[in-house]
Amino acid sequence: MKVDDPELYYMEGFPVPETPAPGEDPKPWIETFVIGKPLPRVDAYQRVSGSAIYPSDVSFPDMIYGVVVGSPHPNAMVERIDTSKAEKMPGVRAVITGSTAGADLTWKWPYGNSKSKLFDPHCRFEGDAVAGIAADTPYQAADAAAAVEVQYKVLPFVVDERKALDPAAPVIHGKDNHVGKPDTYERGDVNKGFAEADVVLETEYRTECLIHTPMELHGCVARWDGDRLTIWESTQGVYPVQQDVAGVLGMPLAKVRVIGHYMGGGFGSKLQAGKYTVIASLLAKATGRPVKLFLSREETFLSTGNRPPSNMKLKAGVKKDGTLTALEFTCLGTGGAYQSGGISLVDWLIRDLYTCPNVRCECNDVFINAGCARPFRAPGHPQGSWALEQTLDALAEAIKMDPVDLRLKNIPLYSQARAGDPPYTTTGLKECIEKGAAAFGWKEARKKLSQTKQEGHIRTGIGMGACLWFVGGGRPPSTIVLKLFSDGSANLNMGASDLGTGTKTVMAMVVAEELGLKIHNIQIENADTGATQYATASGGSKTVPTESPAVRAAAVEVKRQLLKIAADELKTDVQALTIRNGEILSSREPAKRIKIPDLKGLKQRGVIVGIGYRGPNPSNKWVNPFGAQFCEVKVDMRTGEIEVVRFVAAQESGRVMNRLTYDSQVIGGITMGIGLGLTEMRVLDGNETGKMCNRNWHDYKLPTALDVPREIVSVPIDPGDTEANSTGAKGLGEPVTIPTAAVIANAVYNATGIRVTETPMSPVKLCLMLAERDRRK
Amino acid sequence: MMPNFSYLRVNSLEQAVEGLTSPETRVLAGGTDLLGCLRDRIFPADKLVSITRLDKLRGIEETADGGLRIGALTTLTELIDSPKLKERFPGLAQAAGEAASPQLRNQGTIGGNICQKPRCWYYRGEFHCLRKGGTLCYAFGGENQFHAIFGTDNKCCIVHPSDPSPALVAFEATVRVVGPKGTRLVPMEKFHVLPAENVEKETVLEQGEIVTEIVLPKPAAGTRSSYRKVRARRSWDFALAGVALAVAFKGDKVERARVVLSGAAPVPWRVKEVEEIVTGKKLDASTIAKAAAATVKNAQPLEHNAYKIPLFKAVMEEQLTAMAKG
Amino acid sequence: MGKDSDENDRASHGGVTRRGFIASVGVGAVVAATGVTTAETAEPQVVKPEEMAKITLLINGRKHRMLVEPRWSLLYVLREKLGLTGTKVGCERGECGACTVLVNGVPRYACLTLAIEAEGQEITTLEGLMSGEELGPVQVAFVEHDAFQCGYCTPGQIMAVEGLLRKNPHPSDAEIRLGASGNLCRCGAYLNIFKAADRAAHLKAGKGGKP
Repeated sequence: MKVDDPELYYMEGFPVPETPAPGEDPKPWIETFVIGKPLPRVDAYQRVSGSAIYPSDVSFPDMIYGVVVGSPHPNAMVERIDTSKAEKMPGVRAVITGSTAGADLTWKWPYGNSKSKLFDPHCRFEGDAVAGIAADTPYQAADAAAAVEVQYKVLPFVVDERKALDPAAPVIHGKDNHVGKPDTYERGDVNKGFAEADVVLETEYRTECLIHTPMELHGCVARWDGDRLTIWESTQGVYPVQQDVAGVLGMPLAKVRVIGHYMGGGFGSKLQAGKYTVIASLLAKATGRPVKLFLSREETFLSTGNRPPSNMKLKAGVKKDGTLTALEFTCLGTGGAYQSGGISLVDWLIRDLYTCPNVRCECNDVFINAGCARPFRAPGHPQGSWALEQTLDALAEAIKMDPVDLRLKNIPLYSQARAGDPPYTTTGLKECIEKGAAAFGWKEARKKLSQTKQEGHIRTGIGMGACLWFVGGGRPPSTIVLKLFSDGSANLNMGASDLGTGTKTVMAMVVAEELGLKIHNIQIENADTGATQYATASGGSKTVPTESPAVRAAAVEVKRQLLKIAADELKTDVQALTIRNGEILSSREPAKRIKIPDLKGLKQRGVIVGIGYRGPNPSNKWVNPFGAQFCEVKVDMRTGEIEVVRFVAAQESGRVMNRLTYDSQVIGGITMGIGLGLTEMRVLDGNETGKMCNRNWHDYKLPTALDVPREIVSVPIDPGDTEANSTGAKGLGEPVTIPTAAVIANAVYNATGIRVTETPMSPVKLCLMLAERDRRK
Repeated sequence: MMPNFSYLRVNSLEQAVEGLTSPETRVLAGGTDLLGCLRDRIFPADKLVSITRLDKLRGIEETADGGLRIGALTTLTELIDSPKLKERFPGLAQAAGEAASPQLRNQGTIGGNICQKPRCWYYRGEFHCLRKGGTLCYAFGGENQFHAIFGTDNKCCIVHPSDPSPALVAFEATVRVVGPKGTRLVPMEKFHVLPAENVEKETVLEQGEIVTEIVLPKPAAGTRSSYRKVRARRSWDFALAGVALAVAFKGDKVERARVVLSGAAPVPWRVKEVEEIVTGKKLDASTIAKAAAATVKNAQPLEHNAYKIPLFKAVMEEQLTAMAKG
Repeated sequence: MGKDSDENDRASHGGVTRRGFIASVGVGAVVAATGVTTAETAEPQVVKPEEMAKITLLINGRKHRMLVEPRWSLLYVLREKLGLTGTKVGCERGECGACTVLVNGVPRYACLTLAIEAEGQEITTLEGLMSGEELGPVQVAFVEHDAFQCGYCTPGQIMAVEGLLRKNPHPSDAEIRLGASGNLCRCGAYLNIFKAADRAAHLKAGKGGKP
């Protein structure tokens, strides 16, 4: 049974306008002048000077401050709320609850069909909204929040998904805690496959729950102007926020303007509006003032999403020659208290990364009394990779094969898990593994480690792993408007947000490449539903491959009109004209050349406008990014301390648009993967209260500057994808974090002989495992 | 966001002591711990007495006997940067360097550091625990991976969060305290309070008392010292296990040893068992092995912190071995 | 200070002595980065919770007179009262470094500094590293090495590096990593931040050239 791929970020299969017309697509670039260069960001000045206004920086003279009162219990009924004391406190302008007129609203949870009230009397997770307050200062708002008296009927809770199906567990929705039927996938016959195998291994794995914790808090500034609402929101997509807010408030989309020029990180947690967005809007309406409402850091740990925990079992069969014969995978996951994709894409790599005829996956999603999951940088994939890549490592050892060779033996050329077995436009997987291994010095390092007996307490180990990302090719819709002014400067209008990946810079480079303009003469307006074009949220590593072909299309259209004007003025054949450094030249008649500002026709018109649309992806082919990573660790065999010494990442993400920002994505993805592998986990107090213990950055441990390796080498693999889209770019941000944790685990195994199957691999775990092994010896 | 309080900025120690009028009046110095506690509403403050302008409480100077006197307002960074401290008390300089983050070390004072509140997430969180006047220690039956293996008295299993404190105990420092009744000197080893004694207090400070300085006696000739900390991440993290050593050698034999653990108990935890084993001995492999085993002899691990047993043993072995090498 | 031995004896019994109160406290010798020294006999400053204190803050070389509640953090005052939003808010609990500013040239967290306490100190924010619209050397180095992604932690990172280089103009790699270890970056730009810090040291030393 083949399936269509899950829809997480966007839909497929609707008609879209195409520019240029189908068949007139611009040819792939061969030699590029701008694209691929390591250029500093077009908005670097703003970001380092403080002149970039992030949503949390927005301020108005009459602005006041909002706060959300959240439930302190993971499962409780609100029986009574007394706001009278809070209302009388200094500076307080409004207190709203579910019984406030206009606040009795329905809230739709974003990744599923769950609905509740905006202020739901049944709080099914800690931190769910109970009331909203606006006051003159945030201090006064916090004082008032502390003075709201809520009488809760505290209910039994379950916060550990492994206990959610116990008969004694309290039921959160429906008749048991199953979110739905198990998500199953099957091809071939796994039993037959295991029978054919020379080695079969079965191992249980677990990855802990991670919190996104972008540096900028979740929140917004909301301001009304009559019946129009403007929201400055820290978001990955202004249009989805517009849709969510308009939907909840029952407003016309056109009356909700969402602006998010800059945003301080999201990683998937800011793909939609939050309850806080709506509450800020209601408070602004109630007070007639702009309201700034940003959650506190602690609140963001509770209610703005997570990478859910995954409890996985993987059984794998392999022949002595390295042929994978069967993979059988089960997973128990949770999206929290409402449907939120708790198992989303956890099994995708098992289904699709390596050639295997017999695969069976079954994933169960259950409800628990904890905050809802949101997509988190390559949802599901790092979890599945943790199981798959460690299992492949173990299989390779069992059949005495180099783990690199085992993977090379099983490289697919088409997507096995998708209906119709569509081939990939390119699969750089083989090249990623080979070139990455060469850059790392894998064979040499492996040989050296196998030949030397390591002495002392510090042991070196190496590990590797590979990945693909299930989308990352970009898709319609996207519209771009490009204005070329008569002086040769241009204004690019795009709806998409730049998360810090360098989207704006890449788009300016596409325009510069196509029109021969100087980068600093290109100004970009983006992420404003009132003033920029429609775009989907920046997520799924799709922003560059979605937007850049549309930008190129717009530039091609501007170029067409520009060269027409130039051909008329130069009295020459338009076919022979090209643009270099702001000058239009004829390849046939060298004397015929003119600078863009000298074009009379352009001066008269004032501007050339080009509109570009993102056309459809190639039919019957699939576009995915691939990658392979290699690392070296040192492990203290007494304390279990792990030092990541170096990393090599060979990523095939199509064309390298900007080498500088490309490499930044690579080091960023690996750093985040180190967090999954070594330091991060959500801790809930499972016995007494169900509350989150580590809702701050002391107890929830992001990697610091001292936790990253001295060296991360980026080896871009670009096989020249001419089919994916007109710029040849694919996504990078997500694939590059997928295998990192598993790669470290493989290196730790190589160093210690201990397979750590649960994240994070801190001394808390490893020290005990090392000691227990020594005792057994 | 912090609740409001009244603010008193004093110009003399007398004013400060006079200003500490109620149990809910707090001393403000570096603020790195206090302001966080107030923000989290762990305990109330009716008034903050800011002593930050008392410049006399700042700095490091030599004492007549060759020791050092450290003013309570001296920042951890000033400790790390002090050549005298590095030369005579390297273990203390290391411990100060292992604490917190660079900015916090620039702000946080040594006086505040030894007086800091525990980092137990139940204490810091919205849990009305025993230490906050409640009836239950949530950690015993809960998430106790970072909690104590010694000295809990089955009441409260916080670990003392300070890195410099165990080093100060190892160097046999004395804390000078000024209060309404005058000045008193408290040996560092007796400065912190076990739950058995008082579960709601971390130090012996009484109402109205302020730490003004810490006095380090001159170490015996041949003293070597060190501080080693294992943590879940390499910066900005409290100790999973820490060991402070101050060991005086005569020839190749240990003459006197002070061995103090961090991340182990509600107070800096002196392990006399280890001191006894190494005193008078050469630090050879067998002595070190015995000492390492003795480190955790009386430990009582909780459900999730059994790893501290091998971890403390490992660190003790590692540090004594390094010390033997000089 | 010859009373030490005497007092040490008492201390071992937990004794208290009136002797030495004030007279023997204080180190005295090394002092005064604060710039404000008030006579010990001067009356203490008192601000009641319902009152606002009149303070003067010296920020980026400019004096700002204002009224503050005692509890207001320097971070809140910089951003929400003075519009200096180059200083970012990340956690308000000293755990991320986004609000790092220099106080008397030394990096500190503005979230854990009361505005009222900052009076009399020399405060430098990101905006203070600019010369008009021109970037300072650390900022230039961050641009050159793409030492940021979303850019939100960046002002704090820049201030930490600025503070590091003011104290230690030629830091080693290890010193740079340590100097940057009080600032979280969720995008994970640390490796480029190290490169930028190294480059900034060169730029500050007047060694330009290609990065």
